[in-house]
Amino acid sequence: MPTDTRRITGPETSRSPYDYCQIEISKEENQNELIKSDKKRKDGRLAAQLRPIFLKANVISQARGSSYIEMGQTKVICAVYGPREVMRREDFSLKGQLTCDFKFTTFSCRQRRQHQQDNQEKDLSVQMLEALEPAVCLHKYPKSQINIYATVLQNDGSALSAAIMCASVALATAGIEMYDLVLASSLGVLNTVLLVDPTLQEEENIANETGKSPQNAGTMTLAFLPSLNQVSAMTSDGQFLFDMINKSMQQCIENCQKLYPVLQQCLVEDVKEKANLTHA
Amino acid sequence: MADVDLSEPEKVYILHSVQENLREDGRGCEDFRHMEVETGLISNTNGSARVRLASTDVLVGIKVQLTPVDPKKPNVGRIEFFLDCSANATPAFEGRGGEGLASEITAMLTRSYSCFSAIDYTSLCLLPGQQCWLLYIDILLLECGGNLFDAVSIAVKAALFNLRIPNVTMTKDEGGIELDVSDDPFDFKRLDVSGAPVIVTVNKIGHQHVVDASEKEEACSLAKVMLGITEKGTVTAMKKEGSGSLDSESISEMIESAKNVGIELNKCLLNILKEEEAKIEEPVGFLR
Amino acid sequence: MQAGTSSGFAFCLFSATFLFLLSISTYSLDLNKFINMSVDIRLAKSRVVGLDVYHGDDPGNIVTPGDIITADTGFMRGHGTYMSEDCLHSSVAGMVERVNKLVSVRPLKTRYNGEIGDVVIGRIIEVSQKKWRVETHSRMDSILMLSSVNLPGGELRRRSEEDEKMMRNYLKEGDLISAEVQNVMSDGCLSLHTRSLKYGKLGQGTLVKVSPSLVLRRKTHFHNLPVGASIILGNNGYIWICPTEHVEAGETGGYETNLQPVSRSEREAIARLRNCVLALADQNVLLFDTSILYTFEASQKYAVKDILKPEVILEVVDLVQQRLELEGS
Repeated sequence: MPTDTRRITGPETSRSPYDYCQIEISKEENQNELIKSDKKRKDGRLAAQLRPIFLKANVISQARGSSYIEMGQTKVICAVYGPREVMRREDFSLKGQLTCDFKFTTFSCRQRRQHQQDNQEKDLSVQMLEALEPAVCLHKYPKSQINIYATVLQNDGSALSAAIMCASVALATAGIEMYDLVLASSLGVLNTVLLVDPTLQEEENIANETGKSPQNAGTMTLAFLPSLNQVSAMTSDGQFLFDMINKSMQQCIENCQKLYPVLQQCLVEDVKEKANLTHA
Repeated sequence: MADVDLSEPEKVYILHSVQENLREDGRGCEDFRHMEVETGLISNTNGSARVRLASTDVLVGIKVQLTPVDPKKPNVGRIEFFLDCSANATPAFEGRGGEGLASEITAMLTRSYSCFSAIDYTSLCLLPGQQCWLLYIDILLLECGGNLFDAVSIAVKAALFNLRIPNVTMTKDEGGIELDVSDDPFDFKRLDVSGAPVIVTVNKIGHQHVVDASEKEEACSLAKVMLGITEKGTVTAMKKEGSGSLDSESISEMIESAKNVGIELNKCLLNILKEEEAKIEEPVGFLR
Repeated sequence: MQAGTSSGFAFCLFSATFLFLLSISTYSLDLNKFINMSVDIRLAKSRVVGLDVYHGDDPGNIVTPGDIITADTGFMRGHGTYMSEDCLHSSVAGMVERVNKLVSVRPLKTRYNGEIGDVVIGRIIEVSQKKWRVETHSRMDSILMLSSVNLPGGELRRRSEEDEKMMRNYLKEGDLISAEVQNVMSDGCLSLHTRSLKYGKLGQGTLVKVSPSLVLRRKTHFHNLPVGASIILGNNGYIWICPTEHVEAGETGGYETNLQPVSRSEREAIARLRNCVLALADQNVLLFDTSILYTFEASQKYAVKDILKPEVILEVVDLVQQRLELEGS
């Protein structure tokens, strides 16, 4: 296995101390339902309520386009570089290339992450790429590449959907031609309860719940192009009954549509700001 | 994968033929190609299987190992997937050429098996909080002829069916618990695979979708949906792939097809594996 | 440069149409929608194997690399042989062939060795200066010069600089062509030409790849079969099956491709022919018009998709072989 020799790595099998005390915690938590008696979730939201979103474009001045998103405690920053010429000659193509790089910072999760991209991050990079690719007019950028880098600063659930939206805004601020904005939404499902925009804790609870043979227990992430009315990416983990898939898909699409004005507003403000600067 | 570069009229021809529900080789949109399965053909493994789907050829070997449990999940065993894209299949896999494909397939397999109903993970745990079995599932791609994901998942399920985990006797002595793995080849336990999923890939071509696409058809498809489907029809993982986008209605239809085909696949596979088990014959392996 | 940009445009048009096709949600084609599906899983052990692998007499002239073919020095060395210690040895595994004084060994599975006058099917892989590179299952990429194609508008047209810029509009990467081998260069590279109306770009249809040694050399390799489809048996083992009308309409060198849907009956005939050709190739039976037609007839009692199954292949091909032997061909 290739390792980064320039860094001093700790022992390969080191573990966070929290792993060991978690057995107690999770027991306690499982007694608490995901939804409390007052129909509210732990953080006080209703089941179908999104977390408040903060979105800002142009946070990295040297990137061609960039943006920052906060969904509750989930924080993602994203930069777009390019279009620029493809460096490796054999990759010549009349269509442009899009690359995505999804990375959790080492301190973003409960367990410390490695500097090198692990399998989960690679998988998420691919999913992000597939969500964004249908929206970008790649045929307008022959022989060039566009690179997207998304970094999760803090992970509190739904990191993939946050990263997709963040990247979509970053692409738009970079002036890259797109058919549509890309919106994304995550959903946690436990039996018949649909939890919109789940937090990390809820995601973990659902993942642990699967041991007790529930009907549905899983998470789904869906990316959506609102004006074309097309789904550009969809992934699910965990067990879903067949009917539940459709229901969750509809719920995700609905949430995406709710988010559309947020992204639009952010971009409009960004354009206004830039216009003022050029006038001054 | 092998270089499939089609001319525009060829693509149009395939597109129309899918629309007509009469594919290039005469199959309907939901027909699978002919498949051959064999299990237990590699004696050094605890479980092995080979699947040939038309010209796609996959070999799977499973080895079991004792390992300390994951402190986060103290009472379950683990499985790990590794896929080797052999350069025997195509020179493009040479060196690191097949790495991207390999990680994609293993990620999809890990996800579809991460669901707890897939296999009984608790039965893989020997001593809660201490020792469990770790299944190394090694997949070797021998030939690529389209629809790799499905073929790989079928081979994995067949190999899990074939898996023989040696029995372990636990004795308590003063230092703690001593584990003694049986070396009698007939002293083993089996794994229940009735909940194990197979992956069904549905390719969207034009307005229609097909299962078990050939390489040519894959070249015509811009978007596909992959699902892990169990025998009962529950979905254990789902993923959309490809550069195209889909509308929600067609996704629903594709999932529906995948479910139907997936249930049938699981049923057929299990039947044939049971049939194989009933016969006692020498494995043919690669001789035919 | 101009050629490059214009083709870039064509490419994006094509991808745009695909996107368009995908984005339409509702469709009304529910007629024959998924009445049944079939999943066919079997055991490797239960596979049927033909008992009689070789039908004719033992040819007695099969050699492996290093075998001595003859110690007689009166022979000429052909392909697949080498001289060592005054003996003629074989350098490949295959069959010894003698033509007068020339001894050669023909390997049965090999890349295609071109000969002048062969009909081949090839795929364009590169457009370069005044020539196209064509993949023909040969050792090296074949070459099609701009000067050896018919351009739209008559045979005797001069090739101007304009034509050079328009090359990608005539034939672009991925296109299939039928052509004839004009010349074999010293390094084994084939030079092709399409200067006859029967050659040129191929339209809708399906390509089947088999071993080149299975294609029997015949006077003609273009057949309009009486089953509603045409077939081109390329000497290089590439076989093209397409609807008959497209061939007749396409005698213009194929620059205008017909993208209209092919009728269902023709599609079925093409699919059946494809499976028949693969069945014959699977059982190593020589491919020529009669053997293909006989297979087509023998396969009639099976559905098209069933001809993919091994036991059906065996049965059908066996019938065909018996019939061919009866007729003494």
